[in-house]
Amino acid sequence: MPTSPSMRQPLRQYLAVDGGAGAHVIALLPTAAPGLRAVATPRHADLLIVAGPISARLAPSIAQLARALPVPAQALLLLPEVSDSEALQQLFPGALTSTLRSGDAGGDILRVVEAIRGLGAPTKALTLGDAHDYEPPLIPMPGANEHEMATELIAFSLGPLQPFTAGPLRLWLICDGEQVLECRVDAGYAARDLAGRMAATDWRAAADLAAQLDPLAPVAGHMAYVRAVEALQGWRAPTQVERAREAALALERALNHLHWVTRFFRLLAAPRLAEQAADLAWRASALAGGTLSAAALAATTPQGDVWAQPPHAAEARQSLAAQVERLARWVRRDRLLGLRTHGIGALPPAWITEVALDSPTAAASAAGANDCHARLLARLTQAAADLRQSVGDAMPPQSGIIQREPVRAAQSEARGGRWEVPAGVAGGEALGPRGRLAVRLTSAGGAGPTRVAWTSRPSARALALLPRLLEGQVVADAEIIVASLDLSMAEADG
Amino acid sequence: MSNAFSALASAWLPALATLTALLVGAYMLAALERLVALGPRAWRLALLAPLAEGVALLRQRATRPAKADGLLFRTAPLIALVVAGLTALVLPVGPGVGAFDPSIGLFYFIVLFSPLIIAVMNAGWSQNANVGVFAAFRAAASLISYEVPLGFAMIGAPMAAQSLAIGRIVSAQSGLWFAVWQPLGLVIYLVSAFIVCFRHPFDGPLAGSELEGGALSEYSGARRLLFKIALNAIFLVLLAMGVELFFGGWQGPWLPGPVWLVGKTLLLAALVLGLSRFAPRLRHDQVLTLCWKALVPAVLFNIVLVSVLIELIYGVGA
Repeated sequence: MPTSPSMRQPLRQYLAVDGGAGAHVIALLPTAAPGLRAVATPRHADLLIVAGPISARLAPSIAQLARALPVPAQALLLLPEVSDSEALQQLFPGALTSTLRSGDAGGDILRVVEAIRGLGAPTKALTLGDAHDYEPPLIPMPGANEHEMATELIAFSLGPLQPFTAGPLRLWLICDGEQVLECRVDAGYAARDLAGRMAATDWRAAADLAAQLDPLAPVAGHMAYVRAVEALQGWRAPTQVERAREAALALERALNHLHWVTRFFRLLAAPRLAEQAADLAWRASALAGGTLSAAALAATTPQGDVWAQPPHAAEARQSLAAQVERLARWVRRDRLLGLRTHGIGALPPAWITEVALDSPTAAASAAGANDCHARLLARLTQAAADLRQSVGDAMPPQSGIIQREPVRAAQSEARGGRWEVPAGVAGGEALGPRGRLAVRLTSAGGAGPTRVAWTSRPSARALALLPRLLEGQVVADAEIIVASLDLSMAEADG
Repeated sequence: MSNAFSALASAWLPALATLTALLVGAYMLAALERLVALGPRAWRLALLAPLAEGVALLRQRATRPAKADGLLFRTAPLIALVVAGLTALVLPVGPGVGAFDPSIGLFYFIVLFSPLIIAVMNAGWSQNANVGVFAAFRAAASLISYEVPLGFAMIGAPMAAQSLAIGRIVSAQSGLWFAVWQPLGLVIYLVSAFIVCFRHPFDGPLAGSELEGGALSEYSGARRLLFKIALNAIFLVLLAMGVELFFGGWQGPWLPGPVWLVGKTLLLAALVLGLSRFAPRLRHDQVLTLCWKALVPAVLFNIVLVSVLIELIYGVGA
């Protein structure tokens, strides 16, 4: 991590709220700036970090949270460059902002730390714009237990602003003491009606929107869309293009897994492991460099250009993969960590097939034990495999740069790809970090899609398992179980 | 006049010195915690960060939640501080140097520790929110579980020293530290000390993220600072007591007694804080399981072992 003890470190206690795009940056923040300390309650914070995108439905909850910060306090807004963030800026008028560039977590963190340093010490209360008052919903409670020694049931709210999913999710846990009797999922805080907005715009702008489906995995959403467009055009990508695309997807998956592992260790409050994971995630971000950035994404168009991978990346990725494997071996042997992750949140295989869960969560279940520990190990193993795939398969090790000539030859239009799409219906898919993302496009031969349907959203499928998964668990385990599913709420809410 | 002066010297000065020492100690522990986390290269940040944090907390408004029980809410950190102060009084810092050294010193120490749980429970209960109540119950559940192993782990030392007076326990280690032949007691004592102070990895009632900070979740500003100081001071007092009981207290060559005591305590603190970073936060029921199923049997075994060793080391009828 790029820290230097001689640099003036900002000393702040911060509470971070993630609307969906900030999970990676927030996970690495305490490691990047050791003077920053994450706290779990607004009362302990003097700095509120809010990462976009924030929907109108979530705004009242954020306002309520901001009012709970003791005076004096400040706010820092992290705004994704691709999504509109007016609601958030209206909520905190005059607050300092920092931009989140998709696929560049490393640069994002340096900018955020710099912004916090620029804030100085807080002197007055947070300035809040107009926001509707938050009204706690009425939770219908199940009837009282009639048996002897019956206790009063408690509705325990986890979220909607919490550190265990990427993006807002509220869980109502109806508890008998510490035991969860029933879990009600209250999702939709991150809903942006992406499919509707894509259908209302042209082919090119819809590609940018598709990349926002999961703000933490822009390549997967973008790629699924581009492949669907190509299918509509009746074009099949040459092997070399396919390999370059798969390599970029693999890199993105590895990056997401490593950031998830960091967040998971932070949630478990395992400081030593969290530092190791943060270091790996940081180095993976640096390796990915601009390969996964918005500019690189825009260069990937139907029948168009692909990424240029930086040279010398191959060796670094292989060595990083080896270190991830070492961490996985450590985790496998760590008995203390196992105390907190073994045997909780087990997914019966029947449930997995029922919702067609894929990717690491399912891979873990195939390996036998399908509890939180297995999912943690599966993601670590998968991260190493993805890192290797992002090198080995994609290009000859000595070159390091994808040869682009054949691609150019196949391309009939100028750079920027072909966006004329004949009428028809076709789908495209890509393997994202949380599972298979698939989109189905309907075209009437016009300037844009007439109908867009995300036919496969892995977080939405995993979310359906939550009520059953949490039933009978204890409150202290609930958020570890939710975190182990690696939900991206922006993707689940669409 | 001279009577008044001697009364001042005998009662107030030690009390004042103890409180000052606790404040400085709490600060040193906070700095040490950062130093262990960040590595020796960041010593400047580690030394200054607690000061900056303290100043920031003093400037911060101390909020009080709506419909809170004001009396309990405000007095909870004070109770914790009183516990730290009263228990620290019996720690001798040199041969015959200490606030007071009653013949039942160790008993006094254990008994006066118990009100700490009242501070944490009051803090959780008074804030009128279900997270606080959950935290208060979690804290209360661990009360007896840690008192039993903590008390029994300490017993090895007075058994060997044939006295409950801490000064005599320290003197009895002039030849050989008790840590050398009572390592099991030492380990159990240290683990229990972590549980007593709700420190990581046993900080579920105070820091569980599902409880949004647990019992302390509504405290801000000066009250939170006071609570942090008190909890740090209590942990330090427990570690200093560990040094008195197992590492020969103030005894050591060349340097004066207090330096040895402080040095040993900080060294022990750095060691245990460093080790605790390898563990994830344990669930409260796992803490109870650890106490009752592992620590209590082990500590009972330790008592038998120690009594046999005393026979061997000091001879029959010693």
